[in-house]
Amino acid sequence: MNQDQEIISRYIGQPATLPSELRARIEREWGNETVQLYALADLDRGLHLGESWLALGPRHIALATRVADGVWDVQSMARSRIRKVDEAPGLSANRLSLLGGAALEPLVVVRYTQRQRGAFENIRFVLDEALQGRTVTSDNADRIYADAVARPVRDAQALVAGKESAVILRLLGYLARYRGQLVLGLSAAAVVTLASLVPPYLAGYLIDSVVRRAQEGALAPDAARAMAWMAVAAMGGVYVIRQLAAHVRLRLMSTLGEAVARDLRAELYEHIQRLSLSFFSRKKTGSLITRVTADTDRLWEFVAFGVVDVSLSLVMLLGLGAVLLTLDWRLGLVMTLPVPVFCWLIYRHGESLNERFIRAWRKWSRVTDVLSDTIPGIRVVKAFNQEEREIVRFGRYNDDVVDENNEIHRMWTTFWPLLMFAVHATTVMVWLFAVPRLLGDGAPLSAGVFVSFLLYTTMFVAPIEIIGQMARTVNRATSSAHRVFEVLDSEPEVRDIAQPVRLTPVQGRVSFENVVFGYDGVRQVLRGVTFDVQPGELIGLVGPSGGGKSTVVNLIARFYDATGGSVRVDGVDVRTLDTGHYRQQLGMVLQEPYLFHGTVLENIRYGMPKASLSAVISAASAANAHDFVCKLAQGYDTVVGERGHTLSGGERQRISIARAILHDPKILILDEATSSVDTETEREIQEALERLIAGRTVFAIAHRLSTLRRASRLFVIEEGRLAESGTHRELLALPDGIYKRLYEMQLQLQ
Amino acid sequence: MNTENIDMAETLELWAPSANGSDLILESAEDGRLIATIDGRAIAVRLRECFPWSEPGRHVSLRDEDEKEVALVDDPAALSAESRQALEAALAESGFVIGVVRVVAIDEEVEIRQWTVETRDGRRCFQTHLDDWPRVLPMGGLLIRDVAGDLYRLADLSRLDKRSRELLWAFVD
Repeated sequence: MNQDQEIISRYIGQPATLPSELRARIEREWGNETVQLYALADLDRGLHLGESWLALGPRHIALATRVADGVWDVQSMARSRIRKVDEAPGLSANRLSLLGGAALEPLVVVRYTQRQRGAFENIRFVLDEALQGRTVTSDNADRIYADAVARPVRDAQALVAGKESAVILRLLGYLARYRGQLVLGLSAAAVVTLASLVPPYLAGYLIDSVVRRAQEGALAPDAARAMAWMAVAAMGGVYVIRQLAAHVRLRLMSTLGEAVARDLRAELYEHIQRLSLSFFSRKKTGSLITRVTADTDRLWEFVAFGVVDVSLSLVMLLGLGAVLLTLDWRLGLVMTLPVPVFCWLIYRHGESLNERFIRAWRKWSRVTDVLSDTIPGIRVVKAFNQEEREIVRFGRYNDDVVDENNEIHRMWTTFWPLLMFAVHATTVMVWLFAVPRLLGDGAPLSAGVFVSFLLYTTMFVAPIEIIGQMARTVNRATSSAHRVFEVLDSEPEVRDIAQPVRLTPVQGRVSFENVVFGYDGVRQVLRGVTFDVQPGELIGLVGPSGGGKSTVVNLIARFYDATGGSVRVDGVDVRTLDTGHYRQQLGMVLQEPYLFHGTVLENIRYGMPKASLSAVISAASAANAHDFVCKLAQGYDTVVGERGHTLSGGERQRISIARAILHDPKILILDEATSSVDTETEREIQEALERLIAGRTVFAIAHRLSTLRRASRLFVIEEGRLAESGTHRELLALPDGIYKRLYEMQLQLQ
Repeated sequence: MNTENIDMAETLELWAPSANGSDLILESAEDGRLIATIDGRAIAVRLRECFPWSEPGRHVSLRDEDEKEVALVDDPAALSAESRQALEAALAESGFVIGVVRVVAIDEEVEIRQWTVETRDGRRCFQTHLDDWPRVLPMGGLLIRDVAGDLYRLADLSRLDKRSRELLWAFVD
């Protein structure tokens, strides 16, 4: 069972595959043709939850409806009868109709919830392609179905939450390389625990064996004095040892926790840098940042203190129980019997608080929603004169949060004093049972034993508290560990082969040979694209949005690997190249230039950290950036702020062009580099780009076709195909050409 | 101020090709599609309720397969009885959301909240993001959107059993 099938079984509760007996029957009815794709229609005609399967083969399609347990009504037909596929999306019910015949009558109609939509879209895509005369094959129907159904859960969680114990064990595995430090830390913690048990014993000994005997005259004053001072000195010694051990324990375990957190952070960040772009398109940036920061920090806390505290508290409770029962079993029972009840009460209190926390969290998110709406949108708020309304709205939500938090405060401030009262009541019970015995009624009890007993009882509170909160501590740690391990377990989709090729230097010839690509493995974004670009050519990529232009450049940059055909650079398949070395010779200027927090100098030198300052000035001059940089008070040493927010869009773009010029790439990709700036800035950027592209192979995506007039050739990419190619003049000469139509439309708009 | 509002309303009316019973005929096809006949031309349409929660059943946009609006039915009562019946049948499908009659369990897992509920057709599990909260509908009740995009509706919280209300307590005011 693969991970997606595990997600379906564990979370979604529907079959993880097409039932095998049904599949066999369908394939038999089709003359042993294999099922290529299938989907579950989970709504019936009356919109009740049901179970029907739509299965697609190379030549047939079948609809199987469950009529009873193990009994299926199967209807098959030739795919050639289908003339149209119609999907009607609804809020939660979608309808797919396969239409055929002269009047486009319904041949098959299925209804399904959004959960099944991905699987049905795959079927719809294959049928639509077939209607266009194109064949799409799929190799693994089970994998594709499971991927489509599990994807929403996988993207939300990405990891099937494994057993808590397995996650904790894996986490503790990170301690292995610090074995020595760990053993010392744990030993020190054990010494702290054991040493804590000694002073109460010494106190009892002092009272019974020294003080009382001296008072009764059974012990000479000098001998009593010597014994007493020895006991006090031993007590002092024990406290010194205890605190030394506590110091060692705290120091070793906290630095050990830091070391583990550092290792996790480093491993995590290194792994994130190696992951493919597809991973980042699934995950929110904030979520990844949290994993590297807050989650590893929480794991530090768990490793440094949680592990030791929890295990030693257990030892302490057991040890105390044993000591008390040994000292006096009757009083020991009075003291130890309520302990499990106290632990349970603390656990229940934690659960009740948790519900309150969810409620407070929900209300708190309203407050943050208002803030994240109105602070970035403050111009709109002011323009529509809605300040008062927003203040009232914020005030209402703010009050709600305070009410909820006050309720939480009421709960814990009531619970803990009550619990402490119960603990003290237990102590009073001990007194109630002990006093008659101390006075001579019942089983004898010495004052020393009783004092020891009382001192031990005060040591119960801390471990009870820790044990009571153990579930919460472990839960929090495993959640963080899950999030961290999820990233570590993600495999990069683009990986270098064992002995990759290094092109030194890259000449710049780029060829696509019948390249097929789909982001999800079924729906093809590129459908057999073939072209050959010579070094030094400037290729303009044009065409409607969603046609596949960005995918072409993503494959050239090897952000993804082609699912069919090959992308070659200087005749070598990019899958065999050393990706890092190859990308050193590749440059990109994007529509939204990304600047890092740092100086202008650091941003320009990002790809070439050792470039000379004069080279930086030359690159900036070529990028038409030098002039505005010199107008900044601190010149190239000006800090541009997060994402370069202190600069205008055009300025940021020119710095990114300077960065690309300094990088001196052999292959350059310009992705809508001038689309978000005004005409004057565009002219300056265009000038800079013309200097940048000289002598390189350039792929430029642009919607403003006028910016591509100087292109050696233009590739029109539409619906994943290279629909037209040629020079501007050649394409305009094509009657009914796509480029001609686009160009004329833009002329009219101007 | 009022005059301006009225002008704006009239302008909006002109933008949306509002349909009434005299020039719009609606029929249900065998497969459940809704066929609209406008000016003698029959076309299969999809529905989009403009206000599915604020004013359900009214202001219904009829759209062709390219998602272009072909008509806007402000008030189905203005249609003929047959057309209204066809529209209501199609609305039942396009506006279908999964009705929840009982909440069995709400568990938190890593980054998701796992809901187990009873619907009129049996038990169903779904997942929401931890920071996605149920939405209180203008007409009352709760609406929950799961990670796949399915909508779950709890129509009347007061009619739920005690355990369901306890489980939902943290999610409603």
